[in-house]
Amino acid sequence: MDLLSNKWITNLLVCALFVGASCNSVEKKIYVHLNYTVPCVRLLNATHQIGCQSSLSGDVGVLHVLESEENLDWVLSSGPNPPYMVILESSLFTRSVMMKLKNGSSRVAGIVVVAPNTNPVEGFSPHTSCPNENTGVYSESYDPTLAHCNVTVWNPLGNGLSYEEYDFPIFSLKDDNDTQVIRQCYLNHNQAVNGSSPRYPLCAMQLYSHMSAVTDTATCMRRNDINFSISPEMVCDPLGDFNVWASTRPLNNTEKGHKMWEKVVIAAARLDSRSFFFDVAPGAESGASGFITLLAAAHALRNVTQEAQPNRTIFYTFFQGETFDYIGSSRMVYDMENNQFTVDLDNVHSVLEIGQVGLHGESRLWLHSDPVSRRNSSVNEEVRKLIENLQSAAAGLGFTVGEAGFSQPLPPSSFQRFLRARQIPGVVIENHQLNFTNRYYESMYDNAEYLNVSYPPNLTPEEQLEFVTDTAKALTEVATMVARALYVQAGGEENQQDNINADRQIVSQMLYGFLVRSNNSWFQQLIPSDLTSHLTDRPTNFYVGVNQQSSEPTLLVQYLLANLTGSAINITQENCQNQREDENDKESKHMFTYMWVQGAAPPNNTKREGFCVRSTVRLSRAVSPAFELRDYTSKDYSTWTESRWKSIKGRIFLVASHELEMLTLGVGVGVLLASLLLTYIISSKADILFSSGREPTNATY
Amino acid sequence: MNLERLPNEEKLSLCRKYYLGGFAFLPFLWLVNVVWFFREAFVKPAYTEQLQIKTYVKRSALGLLLWIAVLTTWITIFQHFRAEWGEVGDYLSFTIPLGIP
Repeated sequence: MDLLSNKWITNLLVCALFVGASCNSVEKKIYVHLNYTVPCVRLLNATHQIGCQSSLSGDVGVLHVLESEENLDWVLSSGPNPPYMVILESSLFTRSVMMKLKNGSSRVAGIVVVAPNTNPVEGFSPHTSCPNENTGVYSESYDPTLAHCNVTVWNPLGNGLSYEEYDFPIFSLKDDNDTQVIRQCYLNHNQAVNGSSPRYPLCAMQLYSHMSAVTDTATCMRRNDINFSISPEMVCDPLGDFNVWASTRPLNNTEKGHKMWEKVVIAAARLDSRSFFFDVAPGAESGASGFITLLAAAHALRNVTQEAQPNRTIFYTFFQGETFDYIGSSRMVYDMENNQFTVDLDNVHSVLEIGQVGLHGESRLWLHSDPVSRRNSSVNEEVRKLIENLQSAAAGLGFTVGEAGFSQPLPPSSFQRFLRARQIPGVVIENHQLNFTNRYYESMYDNAEYLNVSYPPNLTPEEQLEFVTDTAKALTEVATMVARALYVQAGGEENQQDNINADRQIVSQMLYGFLVRSNNSWFQQLIPSDLTSHLTDRPTNFYVGVNQQSSEPTLLVQYLLANLTGSAINITQENCQNQREDENDKESKHMFTYMWVQGAAPPNNTKREGFCVRSTVRLSRAVSPAFELRDYTSKDYSTWTESRWKSIKGRIFLVASHELEMLTLGVGVGVLLASLLLTYIISSKADILFSSGREPTNATY
Repeated sequence: MNLERLPNEEKLSLCRKYYLGGFAFLPFLWLVNVVWFFREAFVKPAYTEQLQIKTYVKRSALGLLLWIAVLTTWITIFQHFRAEWGEVGDYLSFTIPLGIP
């Protein structure tokens, strides 16, 4: 009976324990993890490594909010508790502050930059002042007076911060509640009161962003290939993605190399962008303004090129990876030279490239051309004709188009890679005559706010999608001009020009989708159902990323181009996904691409009605030829790779003084030794201590 | 194995086997020889085979010292200069540390 009631009591107690007790993790009481962390990562090329590196077990530093540049003295020499984790407001994220911190890096554990909610007025560009200086066409052999931006410094605000090497981690945080917690922790614990040094415990932060690759691309690619062990450790990946291209006349894509009697006008734009931090690249003016204009022009030309095909074929090409030494365009030119592409360089008649065309109220565009190739009279003639086409196309619209100076070289553009191979006539359309007007070239501030893509307050996302901004109206005019000029350049009739008009609704929907929110109803209609997870609720990220299946911008541009230049045809989903029009069709897949997209849901229904789009849109690999040739120290091609890493995170906690830590360790070791000694003493004297008072076990009566 | 229980001839043959085995690039056998047979060779009272065992232990100790010197020198040089040797250093390494040159 006793045993049973004992059991019952024990059971009841155990149940009560499970119900009443809860798990209380000690780790959660110590550390506060940072939610939204954007690191800067390490990139390598043939000669250098750039970016940031932390140590393998994270870098710990006492927090310090930098008030001014003079306050750097506390961090670099007079502060008593190095190393410091410096928190910079965006106004202090300048080259002089960063260089001083880089030089004093023994006392700097890391930097946290607080990204503001509005763009700084004075402009900020972490890119170099002469972008893609060594891989363009202007070199000592082409024309020494034009090389290395001797004539025009394209990006005068460029401070080159993205291309420096730091041996501490640099993270970026948004200016929201979490950052306020960090500032509050600093004010409570770390602030020096009346000039005396702050006392322990202090608020500290630990940042992890250990990068595996080191030295340069040749070293890291060699280490990728060494396979002594069973599972080799990959340390870096080449940057690359896919170029998107389409032609107005379907060409046989399976036959590579020269196509007889085919003359092609290439209309090019660039897709990608970058910033100082990883995976943040809003790229509004540096990339999106150009390719959105080209997409709108392609749409404007759809009807007229299907009814009355011009003599020459127009190729709409969107290059990826141009920020990093022209990855996409160098690969396409390489493929053309080696007969790996649908056409080759002899087929190319001329090139029209759309650069940065965001108009900020000036409504004037400039046409740049290459002075060296224009010394050849036939090339000069073609360039003049192209410029005249553009000027006459712009005449009926709301802005003027001027020719940039004759002795001025081309700005950084994909056309330069074509010129490196052959002297082709071409023109680059930009919104600047001398240096860039873009104050935020390749930075995290080159966003919708800079392009004035703003909506009246209190609009739902659907209403914002349909609202036509002034920027959209301006870009539509540019797209109309480009479309009309392309049509005439391709040999079309001049009097057809008034029928070619870009659609401003489409331009504004594209601006919304790429710069504000990519997960919207229009984009969802245009892509297949298994790719909807790629759409996010944030602006599209245009960083080219490593060589994997296509990233979000490539995907979106591919399906947009298909929808805007192709046509919907009535075939079954199975045929569509197998690239054929009916069961016996074996030829169509060489000429066309078929995509099954999910379409819109009709008003009374929730199920979407998919349909098949037939177009000539194709992807071509955009990985630098240096990786095909395995020449990792190449000077001609891009050799950029991105390092791999294990984990990127950050946390804040209170840290005790070094003396207290050593004291705790010492006391612990002392207790261990004392207990060992005591155990040894007791064990050796055990017979004396434990023998008295014991009854002999075999007692005799 | 308890050496106490072995007859002296077997002790000598064991010591010789370890001595000869160490020449096959196995310096650990020489280390075992030195540690195991030290008491037998130098502390115990003399017996017939002890002179031979003593020579074997002395020669094993010599070989061991030579190996220690060579290995220490090579390891120091490699750890110091591996980063500078670039390609050669990577091909000689089994595990390459991440993130440092």
